[in-house]
Amino acid sequence: MSEYVVSMSNIVKTFGTVQAVRHGEFNLKKGEIHSLIGENGAGKSTMMKLLYGMYPINSGEIIVKGKKMDRLDPKTAIEHGIGMVHQEFMLVEELTVLENIILGFEPTKGLTIDFDSARKEVQKYIDQYDMEVQLDKKISQISVGEAQRVEIIKTLMRGADVIILDEPTAVLTPQEARRLFEILKNLREDGKSLVFISHKLDEVMEISNRISVMRQGQYMGTVNKEETSPLDLTKRMIGREVFLNIDKSYGKAGKTVLEVKDVWVSSNKETSKIRGMSLHVNEGEIVGIAGIDGNGQSELIEAITGIRKVEKGSVILNGKDITNFNPKKVRDAGLAHIPEDRNKRGLNRTMSIVDNLVAVQLDEAPFSKGMMVQKADQDKYAEEKVKQFDIRPTDYNLPTSALSGGNAQKVVVAREVSMGKPLLIASQPTRGVDVGAIEIIRNTLEKAKKEGAGVLLVSAELEEIISLSDRIVVIHEGKITGELMASEANENNLGLLMMGGKESK
Amino acid sequence: MNNNSAKAGFIRILVTMLLSLGIGALFIVGIGENPIDAYVALFKGAFNGKLRLGTTLAGFTPLLLSSVAFAVAAKAGAFNVGLEGQIFLGGIAAAYIGINWTFLPKPILFVACFAGAAVVGAIWGFIPAALKAYYNVSEVCTTILMNTVALYITSYLVSGPMSAGTANAQSHPVTVTLHQFMKPSSANLGIVIAIILVLLVIFMLYKTTWGYKIRTVGTNPDHADFVGINSKKVFIGSMMLSGALCGIAGCIEVLGVHGYFLNNFATGLGSNGMLAALIVKNNVVATPFMAFFLAVLKAGAMGMQQSTGVPKALVDTITAVFIIIATMETLIQFKEKAKKKAETEKKEG
Repeated sequence: MSEYVVSMSNIVKTFGTVQAVRHGEFNLKKGEIHSLIGENGAGKSTMMKLLYGMYPINSGEIIVKGKKMDRLDPKTAIEHGIGMVHQEFMLVEELTVLENIILGFEPTKGLTIDFDSARKEVQKYIDQYDMEVQLDKKISQISVGEAQRVEIIKTLMRGADVIILDEPTAVLTPQEARRLFEILKNLREDGKSLVFISHKLDEVMEISNRISVMRQGQYMGTVNKEETSPLDLTKRMIGREVFLNIDKSYGKAGKTVLEVKDVWVSSNKETSKIRGMSLHVNEGEIVGIAGIDGNGQSELIEAITGIRKVEKGSVILNGKDITNFNPKKVRDAGLAHIPEDRNKRGLNRTMSIVDNLVAVQLDEAPFSKGMMVQKADQDKYAEEKVKQFDIRPTDYNLPTSALSGGNAQKVVVAREVSMGKPLLIASQPTRGVDVGAIEIIRNTLEKAKKEGAGVLLVSAELEEIISLSDRIVVIHEGKITGELMASEANENNLGLLMMGGKESK
Repeated sequence: MNNNSAKAGFIRILVTMLLSLGIGALFIVGIGENPIDAYVALFKGAFNGKLRLGTTLAGFTPLLLSSVAFAVAAKAGAFNVGLEGQIFLGGIAAAYIGINWTFLPKPILFVACFAGAAVVGAIWGFIPAALKAYYNVSEVCTTILMNTVALYITSYLVSGPMSAGTANAQSHPVTVTLHQFMKPSSANLGIVIAIILVLLVIFMLYKTTWGYKIRTVGTNPDHADFVGINSKKVFIGSMMLSGALCGIAGCIEVLGVHGYFLNNFATGLGSNGMLAALIVKNNVVATPFMAFFLAVLKAGAMGMQQSTGVPKALVDTITAVFIIIATMETLIQFKEKAKKKAETEKKEG
């Protein structure tokens, strides 16, 4: 009991119909760095936000320093010594570092703020943990790494001895990350307990005492660092049972449809998330991209399809340079695209199945004539597609928000595949869908390939990549770490490449 | 679109109307008057006799256009608070053309007035829309600010360069006017033009590819861009259409009601149009009916005040109650949903 400063057990948390955490377990010893790892959406940030009291839990138990917390909110969490450094910093740009640190509990002298004693207090932490910050600079003038140190000092000033860091290195350069690690080690020496959320395994292996793994909202176990390896952790993060086999054809690959040449792309948070990627896709083959989620897959696909800007390099589709074309022009050049997030981009949930099926070809015959929508022809088409892809319910005038995940995804797949475009990009085509839909979708991809399309497949499921692809490209932290034929790929050699190609130290 | 939901929508509006009139009746009883007498006077004030009916119709016309204009912009996700400014500028453009371009034959001059008003209104819609689409400046802020700019531009023009020199700030009379068919009221052929335009807009929204694109952009702009619809262009286009409709409303006021540009003539038209659209949640089919109801209330208020002791401000109270009930009604829906959800969960569990 008293071994742990924090213990969370049987945690369940849902947002609407989404189960963010299905079964969460986590505990923290005094004076350790405990990493919480998992793919994007595995529920690791949610777990820690629950501990910090940002949302109430649906069920489960949170015990902090031997005391069961019934109603946790950030204020009581802070009172119990829990501090959190968020992915997005919570700082006031136009105030100085010192003002930011004391904001909310300023020491006063009469009616005025006692800046001198505040400065002394802050300086104490700076010296103790070797955190270099410039107290009189405005936040807008300091670097991201320095802003992060300001956030850490803020938590310390509020008396935190449990500090949660949510993907702290995502925004840092390697040099800054190194400094952060020194600070974290200093904090540990001093008896603080730290939670380190990340999906970068080499960092986790460097800094942690213990490591907990989450996968799809489920707790997958805790291991001591000495007893594990990056390969072992990868398996725990992504391992899934094999349950379907596609009858795979080995056609002859034709000419090149897509060529990506030395492409650099920024993500929302970091510049140059993708650093110099080159790959190609030929007619009549499926090329799979394997990698742990968040290593640049989304950014690469968005860059090819015209949704995200290419920093440098070029993308060539069907012999035409389409670099930084808008999405419409890329589609006109020969792209069909099943996006990774069907609810955000793939579908317009308020509109009907038929409206969604014709969305891309709305301006073409027979779906419209001049400005006029040809409803009868659209209905005929929808009826055919509903039957062909077994979309249920079959009433194509229902809004797509009424569909289950699998049927909604079938609408997206039906729309994109039916055009017979030379390049088909399928991003997480079977994420969150039922087994029946998985089978239909995978067979559809296989069929598109047989009919001569080049298919670029991104999937978080290694099993899907191996069973569908002809060729597999592995990426790690925005770079290609290897390429192999599907026939020679297995979970071990792919897993190794997914961690950057090095065996653990 | 869906027949059932459209029907349910109309029933909801009807119930809301009756409820708000009922609560209004309580207020009337509270000030010691007979509510039935007051409402009879109100409806007589709006419908009884050529003058009153005509005045109601004349008041309805600009409201019809501005409310549908607001709904169209809202369909693409824009909140066009700039209706009033667009009406003012449309009006002044029509007045300028109607006064000065007498070299044109009359029929063409008519068209020129309407076209000029529509173009100027569209430009006044384009500016905030482009700022929003390309620089992410809130169109709510810019349109509110631009209303004041538009008002002062027209005030300056009719007090200075375009002034008729009368005590009231107003322009010279225009050389073409819309036929007034219910004299002595100012009801005019503009109402026919407005109704035709509104029908065209409804047709456009549900039967053309342009309407499809507007609805797509308004409900999911990410999806729109993904399937190759340029969401920025569509957004700007719908704001320009909204502005053009308002410009035409201004033109009808000038050519049909006043015969000249009267300073401040459109004050309140924008906010009432917005109200009508918002109450029915931008349903373009229901919006005209709501605009008509508001027009009747406004037109009948004076008659009620004259023949009973009920002040015309009561109408504003009824409108306010209406809004409250319309918003509460979403609460009721929400409760129903929660109930349903609880039931299904019970079944599953």
